[in-house]
Amino acid sequence: MNESELVALLKLKDRQAFKEMVETWQDMVYNTSIGFLQNEEDAEDISQEVFIKVYQSIYSFKGQSKLSTWIYRITVSKCLDHLRKKKRKKRFAFIQGLYSNDNNLAIEPPDFVHPGIKTENKEISIALFKAIDKLPPNQKTAFVLNKIEELSYHEISEVMDSSESAVDSLLQRAKKNLQVLLKDAFI
Amino acid sequence: MDQHLNKKIDEALQSLDGIAKATPRPFFFTRLEARMQREKSKWEVISSFVLRPAIVFAGICFILVINVAVILTSSSLNNPALQQNNEISAADEYNSVSAPLYEYVNATP
Repeated sequence: MNESELVALLKLKDRQAFKEMVETWQDMVYNTSIGFLQNEEDAEDISQEVFIKVYQSIYSFKGQSKLSTWIYRITVSKCLDHLRKKKRKKRFAFIQGLYSNDNNLAIEPPDFVHPGIKTENKEISIALFKAIDKLPPNQKTAFVLNKIEELSYHEISEVMDSSESAVDSLLQRAKKNLQVLLKDAFI
Repeated sequence: MDQHLNKKIDEALQSLDGIAKATPRPFFFTRLEARMQREKSKWEVISSFVLRPAIVFAGICFILVINVAVILTSSSLNNPALQQNNEISAADEYNSVSAPLYEYVNATP
């Protein structure tokens, strides 16, 4: 089945077509999500939300880009939204902590190790992922799509709706920022 | 020291080389379908309550009552006879308040 046939069936809410779409792209969506969110449960949750969104919004897909590009955009958008909400919750919890008598320390999440990292690199990758988490959204997006999803500059520019030179610039800045953050972490 | 630090930074940046793609736990589609079914059920419960004939009828009656009340209120405000009555009663009130004062001020000793 080619892409236009698949989209036509998805618009008819065909279950088999939906299943085929999910099975084709679930690894892509999950791997991208885990690169952003650095948590397996959150990645699973957001991956489900991405496919639900695709199912509900397929009518708005005009075919001007590839279906995979559209799915990537939804994934990136959902991940960044989730990270923003998490940051707001942390801020609110911190403010609450200032006014409460509760002296409990905030529990830090455990160090994240990406399941696909080679064994010999697992230890040192913990510091890298902590640094990636601190990047600004655009730099994080470009870096995750390039290094974890292994997309080309051209593919990233389509997902981010920008030029290849802009993507290159984002990656250069991301690398510089990561070097600074890693230096602070290792001193 | 600097060389060692730079080497460590480079190692960290290169730790992503050859990274394999992470995959979700087995039966992802089954869990996704179950979640979609749960969310669909929640909306079905809400819409089945809202669309009950009694609820729809009560809603329409409520809207009609509000509309009638607004129409009656605005028509009483625009009625000239009623407006005049309002003016007269306002004037009477003014006179009844000011008249004693006038009489007091102008009363011959």
